[in-house]
Amino acid sequence: MTIRGLVARTVGRATGDDSGATDVGLTLLAAAIAAVLVLPLLWLAVDAVGLGDRALELAVAPQTLEVLVRSVALVAIVTGASVLVGVPLAVITVQGSIPFPRFWTVLAALPLAVPSYLGAFAFVSAFGPQGELADLLAPLGIESIPSVYGFAGAAFVLTLYTYPYVFLTTRASLLSLDGSLVEAARTLNAGRWTAFRRITLPQILPGITAGALLVALYALADFGTPNIMRVEVFTQFIYARYNAFARDYAALLSLQLLTVTAIVLALESRIGVDESGAYESSGHRGNADLELGSWRYVVLLLPAAIALLAIVLPIAIFGTWLTAGGPGYQGGGLTFSWEYGFNSAYVAVLAAGVSILVALPIALASATSDSRLAALADRAPYIGYATPGIVLAIALLSFSLDVLPAIYKTVPLLVFAYVVRFMPQAIGSIKTSTLQVDQELVEASRTLGRSRLGTFRKVTLPLILPGVAAGAALVFLTTMKELPATLMLRPLGFETLVTYIWEVEEAGLYGQAAVPALVLVAISGLSMAVMLAQDGR
Amino acid sequence: MNNDRDDSGTRVLSRRSALQAGSALGVASLAGCLGLFDNGQNVEIPSLSEFRGSGALVEGRPAPGGTSIEELPDLSGDLALYIGGGEGGIYYDFVEMLQNIYPDFTVHSNSNSSSSLAQTIVEEVDAGATQADVFWSIDASSLGFVAENDAYEPLSDAATGPVGNSQFVGDDSAWAGIAGRARAVPYNTNELSASDIPSTVQEFPETSALQGTMGWAPTYGAFKSFVTAMRLIEGEDAARQWLVDMQEAGTERRGNEFAVSQAVADGALTAGFANHYYAMRVKNGRPDAPVDLAFTEGDAGALINVAGALKVKGTQQGELVDNFVRHLLSAEAQEFFATVSFAYPMISGVAPVGGLPTIDELSPPDIDLAELSNLEPTLDLMDDAGVSG
Repeated sequence: MTIRGLVARTVGRATGDDSGATDVGLTLLAAAIAAVLVLPLLWLAVDAVGLGDRALELAVAPQTLEVLVRSVALVAIVTGASVLVGVPLAVITVQGSIPFPRFWTVLAALPLAVPSYLGAFAFVSAFGPQGELADLLAPLGIESIPSVYGFAGAAFVLTLYTYPYVFLTTRASLLSLDGSLVEAARTLNAGRWTAFRRITLPQILPGITAGALLVALYALADFGTPNIMRVEVFTQFIYARYNAFARDYAALLSLQLLTVTAIVLALESRIGVDESGAYESSGHRGNADLELGSWRYVVLLLPAAIALLAIVLPIAIFGTWLTAGGPGYQGGGLTFSWEYGFNSAYVAVLAAGVSILVALPIALASATSDSRLAALADRAPYIGYATPGIVLAIALLSFSLDVLPAIYKTVPLLVFAYVVRFMPQAIGSIKTSTLQVDQELVEASRTLGRSRLGTFRKVTLPLILPGVAAGAALVFLTTMKELPATLMLRPLGFETLVTYIWEVEEAGLYGQAAVPALVLVAISGLSMAVMLAQDGR
Repeated sequence: MNNDRDDSGTRVLSRRSALQAGSALGVASLAGCLGLFDNGQNVEIPSLSEFRGSGALVEGRPAPGGTSIEELPDLSGDLALYIGGGEGGIYYDFVEMLQNIYPDFTVHSNSNSSSSLAQTIVEEVDAGATQADVFWSIDASSLGFVAENDAYEPLSDAATGPVGNSQFVGDDSAWAGIAGRARAVPYNTNELSASDIPSTVQEFPETSALQGTMGWAPTYGAFKSFVTAMRLIEGEDAARQWLVDMQEAGTERRGNEFAVSQAVADGALTAGFANHYYAMRVKNGRPDAPVDLAFTEGDAGALINVAGALKVKGTQQGELVDNFVRHLLSAEAQEFFATVSFAYPMISGVAPVGGLPTIDELSPPDIDLAELSNLEPTLDLMDDAGVSG
C-alpha cells in the first residue's frame, strides 16, 4: 500500500464517512484550531520538568499540601453551603405558594450577575478594619469587629455569589418533576417530608449535583476573592509565588490545580447529568403544591436577606463612593479615566470577533459531521474553558517568553487568552442554532445549483445569525469582567476597568473604584440577561 | 503585596494632599518659569516648598545645592518604569510630580518587590522581550543582580555624574544611587549617651548597659540584609552566635523598625536596630522625643544600602532614561527624598535632615552590596538561631 493511500484511509476513518473534501477540510481546520488553543497549557509541564528532582520535593512540601487541603476545604464548604441555600430557594420558588414567584426567582438568580471579586471588594470595604461598619461602631465604643479577612470570609462571599448555580439547576429539575408521582405517594399516606425525601429528592438529585459541580469549579478557579480576602488557596498562592519569582513553583502548583479541576470534571461526567429533559415538563406541575400558609412571608426572608447582602449592599457601597467619595485621597496616577473603559471594550470586541471566527468552523463541523475528529475538536476547547484563568495566564507567559517573545505581554496574547477561555460559549450558541437549521433548505439550495459556500452564505448563515450574535455578545461581556488573565498578560501601561479596580483595591483607595465597579455590575447583569434569553429560546 | 514594603503605612495625608494639589495645579511660583521650550511643552516648575516634606526637621533648611530641574533638558515621551515597591509609594509620588511638570511626559509603571522585578527584567531581556526602559529599585542587591546578568546598558556620564560617592555607582555605570539608607542604632537619650554604644554590633551582647533593653524587627527586609552582611563579613557561625547571644541578652521583637524606633523614643526600649530614617520620622512628629542615632563602624551594623536606577538592556528610550535619572539626582529631587522619606541624599549639595552625619562621614563595611541578594542561607541561620524572619 502506498503511503498516500494509507494517509487517505486514515484520514477517511478519522473524519467519518466520505463526506466530501470540504467536510474533511472543515474538520481538519476545526481540529487544528482546537490543538492551537490547548497547546500552551503543555508548557506548564515543561516548566515543572525544569525543576527536576525538586519538583517532587515541592509537590509534597508541607506548604504545598497545606494549600491543597485549604483549597479543597474551601471548595467543599462553599459547595455544601451553596446546596443548603440553593435547594430550599428552588423549592420555595417552584413549589411554594408565594406571592410574585417570578420576581423571587429572578432575585434569587441575580447574585450570579455580580463578579465575586466585586462582592469581596465591597465586603472588605464594608466590614474591614477601616470599613464603613467599623466607622459606624467606633462612636459606640466598639473597638474591633471580627475580621472579614480569611477563610470564613472568603467562603461566605463565594457562597453568596455561586449558590445561584445550584438554584438554577435544581429549579430546572423541579420544573420537569413528574408531579403525579408525588401525589401518588401522598395518597398512600406518606408524609410531606417522606414524599420529598423518597420521591422528589431522587429525581432532582442530578440537577443539584450538576449545580454543585459548577460551584465547585468556580470556587476552585476563582482568583479575585481569595486574593482580596487573603486566603492562601491555590489561585492566591500561585499568584504570590509568581510575583515572588518562584515561577517554576507556580507552574507546578498550576499543574496541581489543573489536576484537581480535572478530578471535579471527571466526577461531573461520571454523574452524567441528562440535561435534555431539564426544561420540558414531563409531568404536570399543576398549582403550587407546597402550602405554606402564613409561613409564606417567613420563608421569603431567606431570598430577601440574601439579595440584600449580595446585590443591594455592594451597589449601595459603590453608589456611596460615587456620591460621597470613599476612603483614600484623590491619588494621582490612580485617577479614573474613561480610557480604561475604552481599553476594556477594545480587547473585548477583538475577543468576540476572533472567537466567532474560530468557533464557526468548529461548531459547523461538530453539527454536520459525526466523525470522531469533529467530536474531539468540539470537546477540546472546553479544556480551555475549564482551565482556571490564573493557570492559563502563567502558561501563556511562560510559553511566550520561551517560544514567541514577540507576543509576550501584547494585546494579541491577551486576546488569545480570552478566546481560549470564552470561545466555547460561542461554540455552544452557534451549535444550538446550527442544529435547528432545516437540512432540507440546505439540500434544496444545493439542488438548485448553488455551491456549498454559496449555500452557506445565502441559507445557513442568515438562519444561524442570532446564535452567532448571542455567542459574540457572551464572549464580549465575559471578557469585560475577566480578571486574572487581564491582570497578568496586559502590556505595561494598558489599564482596563478590571485592572484599575484591582490596583485601587490594592492601594486601599476604594473610593476611586465606584464608577468602574458599577459599570462592571451593569455589564455582568447584561451578560446574564443574554444567557437567560438563550435558555428561554 | 510587597515583601520589602518600607513603610508602616503611616502616611501624612495632609502633606500628600498638599503635594497633590500643589503639583496638580502647577502652582505658579517664583522658581517656576513660563516659557515655550524647544518641544513646545508648557513647563512650570513648582516652588521648592512643593518638593519639601513638612515637620520639625524640615523647617529652616538651606536651599539645596546641585543642578535644578530648570537647568535640565525637558522630559517628553513614554517611559516604562519597573519600580520596586517600598517607601510607601513615596518614590512614585515624585514620578507623579515629574509628569505634572512635563505634560508630554508619561510614565507607565509596574510595581512589585525589587527582587522579583530584578529577576523579571533578566528573564525578559534574555528572551528578547524587554518591557521596561528603566528599573528603579529600593536596594542595591537587585540592581547588582541585573548588572551581573548583563541586562543593563551603561548610564551616561551626565546621569551618574552628580552622585557624590563612587561607591554608589555600579561598575560600568550600570546603575546610579538615588537615595541612601543607613543601618543605625536608635537609643533613648534619657537612658544612654552616645558613648555607651559600642562601635561594633559584635560587642553589644556583652555590653551591660544594653542587657534586656534592646529591640529588633527580624521580619523586616533591611534587618535580613543586615544579618546577611554580618554573615558575609564574620562568617555564618559568628552571625548565628550573635543572634543567639542577643536573644539571650533579652532583645525584644517588634513588628517593624518604625515600632522599634517609637518604643525607643517612648522609653519602652533603651536602644534598637533600625534603618536611620525611622527615628527621623519619630522626631519629625515629636521634636522633643528623647531619641537619637548612633552608628557603628565598618561592620554589618554600619551597612548603607541605596535605592538606585538602572537602564534596561534593549530599551528604545536610552536618552530619556539618562535624562530621567538626571532628574532624580536634581537638587529638587534630592531635597524631596531627604525631607519626605528622610533618605540620605546622593549629591553633596543636599544635606541629610536632622543633623545626621553626612554620608561620607559614615564608615560602611567594605562589601559588594549585590551579594546581599543571597538570602537563603541567612534565613536558614536565623531559623537555626530561633530568630525567624
